[in-house]
Amino acid sequence: MTHVSSVSLHRFEVVSNEEVADGVFRLVLSSPDLARALRPGQFMNFEVPGDASHILRIPLSFASADAEKGTVEVLYATVGEGTRRLSLMRPHDASTVVGPCGNGWSVDGGGRALLVAGGIGAPPVVAAARALVGAGRTVDVVLGSRSASTLWGREAALEAGADEVLVTTDDGSAGIHGLVTVAVDELMGRHDYDLVCTCGPNVMMAAVARVCEDAGIACQASLERMMTCGFGACNTCNVQMRAGGYKACCTDGPVFDAREVLW
Amino acid sequence: MSDSVSMAVDLGGIRMKNPINTASGTFGNGWQFEGFFDVSTLGAITTKGCSAEPWDGNPAPRMVERTSAIMNSVGLQNPGVAGLVESCGDYLKGLEGRGCRVICQVAGHSLEEYARAVELLEELAPFASGLELNISCPNVSQGGAAMGATPAAAAEVMRTVRPLTSRPVVVKMAPHDVAEIGRALESEGADALSLINTIPAMAIDVRTRKSRLSRPTAGLSGPAIHPIAVRMVWECARAVSIPICGIGGIESGEDAAEMILAGATAVSVGTASLHDPTAAPRILAELEEWAASQGVSDINELIGAVQC
Repeated sequence: MTHVSSVSLHRFEVVSNEEVADGVFRLVLSSPDLARALRPGQFMNFEVPGDASHILRIPLSFASADAEKGTVEVLYATVGEGTRRLSLMRPHDASTVVGPCGNGWSVDGGGRALLVAGGIGAPPVVAAARALVGAGRTVDVVLGSRSASTLWGREAALEAGADEVLVTTDDGSAGIHGLVTVAVDELMGRHDYDLVCTCGPNVMMAAVARVCEDAGIACQASLERMMTCGFGACNTCNVQMRAGGYKACCTDGPVFDAREVLW
Repeated sequence: MSDSVSMAVDLGGIRMKNPINTASGTFGNGWQFEGFFDVSTLGAITTKGCSAEPWDGNPAPRMVERTSAIMNSVGLQNPGVAGLVESCGDYLKGLEGRGCRVICQVAGHSLEEYARAVELLEELAPFASGLELNISCPNVSQGGAAMGATPAAAAEVMRTVRPLTSRPVVVKMAPHDVAEIGRALESEGADALSLINTIPAMAIDVRTRKSRLSRPTAGLSGPAIHPIAVRMVWECARAVSIPICGIGGIESGEDAAEMILAGATAVSVGTASLHDPTAAPRILAELEEWAASQGVSDINELIGAVQC
């Protein structure tokens, strides 16, 4: 085990922070050291000013980082009090993040990869798409959303170099009416994959993991937990492993080999 | 600014260069914070509670946020004494060498398990300046808080462990009956007391009618509990003559100063480190500034100096 933690405290300034879909905001922040250090699939723990009675940070992943400009692009859904306050931050407002936290996606290998996102799981999946395309892979993306109005990521996935992007919605207002697994089955019928990466609701990732296990395809899943500290100090973000015992989502993950997780 | 104030304190034989310690379970085993600040600037760190054999801890979810507080139900997940020493013994030994005292926290389900863990720490972790007996964890089914629930039960743990080590033994106390239990521990040879552990609490999801954590109850910590902790440190300090490490919701130098005025010799920063990883050194700097403002040359002059 290492005794040098690369996680540290970074100050950031808001460049822009705007609603891009219903309840989905796009935050661009300036933090040059952080932008250079982040790897796809890692996350940051945000201090959101404005209410001392909410003491914990908010863990968020990112969609892209620009080392030259020193900026990081974060997409988040306003699901609670902390993200609602984050949505009120304006350009030039400043705060801190703890990061980069955790291990990102593994992009080794050369075959075709399928990426499956549900809801606000899309940003780290877009980051994975860019990294996998950069590593020479062909990538297809499935984006699941409640409806057309809450969907984010279609254009971003295409910009990241995705070959095919399929959308599914719960209400049928965009793309395929149904669950992401419908689109996954369709794509798996047409292409051979040697890697699947998924991020979204636990029940969705469990279904994707099952499909991959049956098909004998490697699957990486980015899990969401209550990340209290984000760097291995508190042991509260435990993930139950199939082999028994727990691992820490913040330092052993958030990206896990789906076969090792007890879904 | 404040270099005229001597900050060194003696926590029952654990000689700390300043009063700042870290609360077990909120500071990893120290090394996780080295990316944020030089951990050796602290007076001491207390490791995550460690048992003779590895413990898995409780199922998820283990954490929920409340107003100015958090509730945790980790359940002392730890790799066992051998696992602790294997994973970071070198780091902890080095930390002692850098002038920061290492206090290894000990957990057990029974008297035999406490004894075994202490024996293993004697053998495998001789570098640590002191041991802290956790007889107050609210999150385990067996042992834990039950081991320190009454003066007689707490005394029995201390009586079991005392002959096994000559190192200073601190006892981490539950948030109740601190005067009576403190006296019982002192009479059995405890070198210092640390209080308070988290307060047993409950949070219910009213939609599902289930506990919001994996067990019905969990431990409350954070700024919300600070005034309760100050009161208990004050009550305990009046009842015992051994030193106290004050713990509970310390977020600032002023919070730490309250603990010292109430009778604490040292203080542990806990929950604050989880949302502000640089809290401990910031609180140290603020505490030094306060001590200087009080016109004393030694922070020990301020211990128990509350006027009431």
